Order: sequence, then C-alpha cells, then structure tokens
Amino acid sequence: MRRMLRLFLPLTIAAASLVTAMVAAPPGANVRGPLTVGDATAMLQKTAVIAALLAVWMLAAVALTLLSGREIRYSSLEMRASALHCFALGLVAVTSFALTAIVFSYLIPYHVGVPLLFALGVFAILTKIYGTVAVFHAVGTLVAGSRTREQLARRHWLRGDLAMVVVGVAVLGALRLIPIVGPIIWGFASVFGIGTALATKFGRREPWFLAWRTVES
Amino acid sequence: MTDSACQRYLEDPEPNAAHLETCATCRAEAAGLAEKAGAEPAPIDLDALPLAPWEGSSHRPWGLVLGGAVVVIAIALALCDATGMSPLHVAESSLASMEGIRSLLTRATASLRAASLGMQIAFGVLFLVVNALLIVLLRRAPRGIDA
Repeated sequence: MRRMLRLFLPLTIAAASLVTAMVAAPPGANVRGPLTVGDATAMLQKTAVIAALLAVWMLAAVALTLLSGREIRYSSLEMRASALHCFALGLVAVTSFALTAIVFSYLIPYHVGVPLLFALGVFAILTKIYGTVAVFHAVGTLVAGSRTREQLARRHWLRGDLAMVVVGVAVLGALRLIPIVGPIIWGFASVFGIGTALATKFGRREPWFLAWRTVES
Repeated sequence: MTDSACQRYLEDPEPNAAHLETCATCRAEAAGLAEKAGAEPAPIDLDALPLAPWEGSSHRPWGLVLGGAVVVIAIALALCDATGMSPLHVAESSLASMEGIRSLLTRATASLRAASLGMQIAFGVLFLVVNALLIVLLRRAPRGIDA
C-alpha cells in the first residue's frame, strides 16, 4: 500500500505538470513550444530566475538545518500533526503582517513608523525563511521519510534531517517550475510555513504569552 | 478465586502462573513481592514501538547534500548562461518584486490617509480584530510529540 502511494505521488506530480502545461499554453499553441522566440526567451529567463532562487533556498535550508535541526524537526512535526491549525494561523499572520505594515507606514510622518516597519520586515522575512525550511523538512519526510526501523537501518543516504530538507527543496522546487500552479503551491507552502513557525515559536517549546496566576497563600 | 487455587499457586507459583490472571489478591501479592525483591519489569520490545521522529535524525549524508546543491546550482548557472543573464540580474529581479510590494504598501497607506474618518475607524477595528485573532491562535499549545 505504501509502495503504491509512493508511486502514486510522482505520477500525480507528472500528470499535474502535463495538464497544467497544456492548460497554461496559449490557445492553438503547439505543446512542444511557445509561439515566438521572445516568448521562449522570457519563459527561459523566468525559469532561470526560479532556479537561481531555488539554489539560494537550498543553501539557506542546509545552513539553517545544520544550525538548528532540532527546532526545524519539531516545527515540521507540528505541521504534520496539526496542519489545519498551522494553515489558519499562517493566513491570519499574513493578514496581520499586511495590516500592521499599513499601520506602521501610516505612522512614518511621526518618525516612529520607520523603525517599526523595519522591525516588522525583519521579523516577517525571518519567519518566512524559517517556516519555509520547516515545510521543506515536512515535505521531504512525507515523501521520503522512513516508516519502520528496519527501513531506517537499511538506508545510507535518505535519512536524517539534512536529507529530508534536501528532498523537500527538490520536490517543492520541481513543483515551483510548473506554470500557474507552481506559484500557488509555493504560496500555500509559505502560509503553512509562517503558521508553523509562529505556532511552535520557531521550534522552541515556550509559550508566546505568560499565563496569569495569582500568588497562593 | 478459591482458597485451594490460591494454595496451589502459593505452593508452586511457576506452573500455576495462570492463576494470577483470575485472582486479584494473588496478583497484588505477587506484585508487592516483586517490588520488594527489586525485580525487573517486563522487557519492552523496542522494535514493536513506532519510529520516533528523532531516530536517525542526526545522520548527515554529505554526498546527497553536496550533490543536490551542486545539481541545483549547475542548473541555475546553465539557465542563466543560456539566457545571457548574470547572477546580478537575478538579484535585481528579486529586488524588483520587493519594490512592487513597497509601492503596493505606499498606495494602500495613501488610500487610507485619503479615506473618510469612518473608513479609517473601520480599518482600525479590522486591525484590532485580526491581531486579537492572531493572539488567540498563538495561545494554543503545540500538539507535536517529543521531537
């Protein structure tokens, strides 16, 4: 059953890529290529930019996993344990970031807006980077993670946090190259990532807010 | 159960071990004796337990990591070379998307300033509601098991 599921996933990705390419192609266009040389060049340039950004993501993911693999693993686990909560939190957080950015931008004439906007930007970028790496780990574990102890013992390459992150970057990067669907999938991954980063407080087991307790006599 | 069954168990516990399943008194007595004697608990079959997330996680397959990184970087460089783009162009295009976000933010702020007082108050209420919802969601404890 699991083997069938593993076969099913790449087949689904391949089929989705083919269908998306056919849908995204201009009407009457040949499936083998776009209409003009200019279109082909623009598409190739876009692909080159995406591939270059994927290379940067790969390096960032490996570096972050080496620095704090335990935290990334914990966030990835949380994402798989309560995906809906992470997604809802991510949606609310992205909305909150946007609204807060507008409010801080509104405050720029009063001089307090600029540092606040800068701090919000740094926090949002860090949350996105950390969360996306956690999504890479979660996707890698779902696709290539060991299910049994025997399977884990047999493996020499596909085991460990680093391997899961690399597999996740490869899978999500391949999906990112699909026109139309790729950016949507990447956007969903970002929302999931931001949600899981905030839900786990960047992989640490600390509450965001202290609970109020009265002193007992 | 019956006194005679208990007696038989007490006289010869090992052949009559099945008696413990039916007699709570003897079971409690046996547990107490085992505790006093410092007997080891029944061994746990570790292989029967599910795989923990941290098992094998510290393994670092450098071949896979370096190979994957080299392949992705090589594809990116080959595509950049084929299109005549330099890495500087890639950075510029990334900054251009940031510029788009900045201009969107500027336009949204200008619209808010130009809006009526009622709209500004409504925006403020929306801001408070969304952030209150964020705080409510952040208060939930994570569910993930020990990593």
